[in-house]
Amino acid sequence: MTALLDRQWRDAVAAEWMKVRSLRSTWAFLAGGMAATALGALILFLLVGSYDAATPADRANYETADPTVVTMPFVMFFVGAVGAMLVTSEYATRSIGPALLAVPQRRLLFGAKATVAGLAGLGGGVLFALLAFADARLLLGDRPKPLNPWPQWTDAVPTVACAALIVLVTCLVAMGVGAVVRSTAAALTIIGALVLVAPIFAHFLPTVWQLRLASVLLPNLTPQLAGSDHPYLLSQGGAAAVTAAYVLLALTAGALVFTRRDT
Amino acid sequence: MRRMIELQELTKQYGPTTAVDRLSFEVRPGVVTGFLGPNGAGKSTTMRMMLGLHRPTSGVALINGRRYDRIRHPLHEVGAVLDADAAHPGRSAGTHLACLARSNGIGRARVREVLRQVGLESVAGKRVGGFSLGMRQRLGIAGALLGDPAVVLLDEPVNGLDAAGIRWIRSTLRSLAAEGRTVLLSSHLMSEMAVTVDRVLIIGRGRLLEDTSVREMQDRFERDVLVRTPRPGELTAVLTRLGATVRATGDGDLVAVGVDAPAIGDAAAYAGIPLHALTPRSATLEDVYLQMTGSAAEYQATVR
Repeated sequence: MTALLDRQWRDAVAAEWMKVRSLRSTWAFLAGGMAATALGALILFLLVGSYDAATPADRANYETADPTVVTMPFVMFFVGAVGAMLVTSEYATRSIGPALLAVPQRRLLFGAKATVAGLAGLGGGVLFALLAFADARLLLGDRPKPLNPWPQWTDAVPTVACAALIVLVTCLVAMGVGAVVRSTAAALTIIGALVLVAPIFAHFLPTVWQLRLASVLLPNLTPQLAGSDHPYLLSQGGAAAVTAAYVLLALTAGALVFTRRDT
Repeated sequence: MRRMIELQELTKQYGPTTAVDRLSFEVRPGVVTGFLGPNGAGKSTTMRMMLGLHRPTSGVALINGRRYDRIRHPLHEVGAVLDADAAHPGRSAGTHLACLARSNGIGRARVREVLRQVGLESVAGKRVGGFSLGMRQRLGIAGALLGDPAVVLLDEPVNGLDAAGIRWIRSTLRSLAAEGRTVLLSSHLMSEMAVTVDRVLIIGRGRLLEDTSVREMQDRFERDVLVRTPRPGELTAVLTRLGATVRATGDGDLVAVGVDAPAIGDAAAYAGIPLHALTPRSATLEDVYLQMTGSAAEYQATVR
């Protein structure tokens, strides 16, 4: 029985992987992530030019040019959209019917989709975080702090790893949200609001509330998890707990709706 | 393995509305069974409950003795088409089927085989979004046949199809049944079902109204006998003595009610009256169906 379940699980995951690869939107969203990374590199290039032209006194006032801060929220949105589409595209095209006829054990199907969302999130996260890191190494060279966040390449490891992890988390959260709302437009709006709009909104709050809200927003969990320099309130353990809560909450809500609601 | 579908007191309620009301029946292998009812009768809801897409309020639907959602790799046992449009328009036909096949451990060779079987081999690489309704219906059936299942369920498979498509579906279903499979198809079109199915389950307002064979239904609703004779006055007297009610049609024929064709033939021969035509006339299945479901239709038009 266990062997049969294992086989069924493997088959379901393989089928979901085949589905995500054969969606044109997957490649469009990944291209969006690539564009965001390229844009981040362009901004960094301009910043480096400005830095080189500045006086030594002015250079000391430059903020850290961490490319993950600029590009990763967009990457989170685009890779997260891939996760959401794993569920919402099937509801939009009514192909959820054949999917459930092929794998009627809904928890198993949801688990297979979550596994693929996790794999896509991890792959996308590692790819784009490494690209951002490569941009920084290439463009910042041996320039010193505060402009260069990682004078040694090993300094970047915690941030790059945590940035990739947060992209993975966003992809899982987006999939859970997609299962709850069953609509691509609604899911993308919620994910966009969570990773792109909420951080801007937080800036308009009084300082105390700004920090409280900003500290629990997905993009800002990266530096808190990595333990790098940041203005936020959470310890590394606290950031890990909030990260886990995002995944738990979104996947539990998604699984409940997915398994209980008629299709 | 039992190759059949069993419903036991299956019920579905949406708030105060009962869509399916304690429905019980069996669908057996080797024949095409039609599941008929007017729009809104509960056919699709029932089929969706059979396949685990809707959760019954009470009762149970079993396929091969098990609930559908308890079957591992179900495409090997059950094939179903509930919606011809249920494929991602951006995927090719081949990839759509390959995804379904992969989830049930079915290989690519079988995908090619079913595409050939339904006549879509040449468009396997084309996107489903560009397919006609008939092609999508064929693709749905290809998906249903992927695992070579013993049980096949189709919901309104001829809706929107042209004559060639309808004929193809009809012959496909009959050949599946001839192979010993259990075939159930739903429709609200009695005229189509009359030439496709062997057995009919008729429902109205979620309740089973009839579970019978097409032949039995035709026999039960036999109406009268049309008789043509050069001596209508004499034959009328003979048949009236037999207890029949006889009336003349405008073109000189007789219509006899209350006596069957062999009795009329025997009586005419005994009396030496020649007969030129003797035709038993049944109510059409369409008439019977409308008579049964007329009061069970959820929405009815009023003719002014």
